[in-house]
Amino acid sequence: MTLSSAPSTGHATDLIELLRQVFDPEYPGVSIVDLGLVQTARVQPGPDGPEAQVGLIPTFSGCPALAMIKDDVESTVTRLSGMPCVVTWLPTPVWDSSRLTAHGRAQLASEFTVVLRNRDGSLRCPVCGSNDVADQSMAGPTRCRSIAWCDDCRNAVEVLR
Amino acid sequence: MRTWTDLESFEHFIDDGGIVEAGDDMPEPYRQEVFRFIEFHANSEMMGGLTERDWIPKAPGLRLKQIFLAKTQDEIGHAHLLYMVAADMGVKTRTEMLEDLFAGRSRFHNVFHYQAVTWGDQIAIAYLVDAAALASQRAVFAQCSYGPYKRILKRIIAEEGFHMRHGEEMLLRMAEGSEVQREMFQQALNRWWGPAVQLFGPNSSPDDPLLKWKIKSELNENLRHAYVQRYVPLLHSYGFTIPDPELRQEDGKWIIGDIDWEPLKATMRNGGPDSRRRIENAAGNWADTAWVRDALALATAGAA
Repeated sequence: MTLSSAPSTGHATDLIELLRQVFDPEYPGVSIVDLGLVQTARVQPGPDGPEAQVGLIPTFSGCPALAMIKDDVESTVTRLSGMPCVVTWLPTPVWDSSRLTAHGRAQLASEFTVVLRNRDGSLRCPVCGSNDVADQSMAGPTRCRSIAWCDDCRNAVEVLR
Repeated sequence: MRTWTDLESFEHFIDDGGIVEAGDDMPEPYRQEVFRFIEFHANSEMMGGLTERDWIPKAPGLRLKQIFLAKTQDEIGHAHLLYMVAADMGVKTRTEMLEDLFAGRSRFHNVFHYQAVTWGDQIAIAYLVDAAALASQRAVFAQCSYGPYKRILKRIIAEEGFHMRHGEEMLLRMAEGSEVQREMFQQALNRWWGPAVQLFGPNSSPDDPLLKWKIKSELNENLRHAYVQRYVPLLHSYGFTIPDPELRQEDGKWIIGDIDWEPLKATMRNGGPDSRRRIENAAGNWADTAWVRDALALATAGAA
């Protein structure tokens, strides 16, 4: 992680590195950057030195983790860089699963058995790689996931939507 | 599909850290024990979700309603995943498990056999009971030998950890609140401390098959002891009193008084203080939604 320039001459690129240290409360170890929640990250001069301004977008409106993520970002950035940090939840753009990074997808699949739908709507099992995966329920344990079942290896799979 | 010639070779496989998959030809006693354990977990998530739901309209403020809505969805979703994995083991279908639960023929966690009287109870559940349940789930996840269960446990644990943070936040508001709020939580603590420490179960028997087959990775009494070490000082630091006159420190460790196991045994017979009302309530929901299942069955038959 490059922290050499912070805090006296902070840069947005360094800020992104700091945001990689903030994990989603429901996916420990998966960063909000990899989940595609970060829309803007700026370091601007303030009255007492540089200040971080972070604009985030929620996966789903009404997500119960929003207040927690905001607190986590503000406290992590300040702790690691010494800069004050202000987080704003942005109404647009609307989040969709294409915002995930390749690393984020790989982590969700291998560690949480959570996958994205393929372009043609099909599903690939994150456990055995089979395409024999059938939707079970539109509603999963969270608003952003539905439930499917792999008929090959017989594992419950969740789909980020 | 893997097969084992006898129980001994299967147990060697488990001892070496082997993970059993759904298609494996697992020994029948293992299948039965693991199934019963997952069914119990599923039932508990279901009954827990119904409890959370009851408090959505009563939660003070929009933010807390949002949290209780999300927790309800989490618990019912966890139940759904667990019932899928349990049904796949071929012992009972999902419908049979639900019908047994709603007819009072099944078991679920002791803590869902008590009534939540005030908002303070709901916080005690979120702060104390969820923490106890999470500690035992983590101990199952640690070595869990059944792959399909271990994979859903990973997500369940992540979400339950998130609930605990909500519980801590709600507790802090009560602890820093007025005397009325503090007293409300103290009363709730008096009601829930006992059920929370009993949740881990009586001291483990050394030949518990769940330990041998690595569904459980830790003795019940060790989990309870670790929980007591963490929560006694936390509750004391907020100025609350633990309702246990025999609570004491020995060599720097907190020791709780002897536990009366009769209340736990009663809940396992569905004879707890609120068992009957809760099961009837859940059974009523099941009956009221029969038309949805019927319509779905007809739609599926029509499409085929």
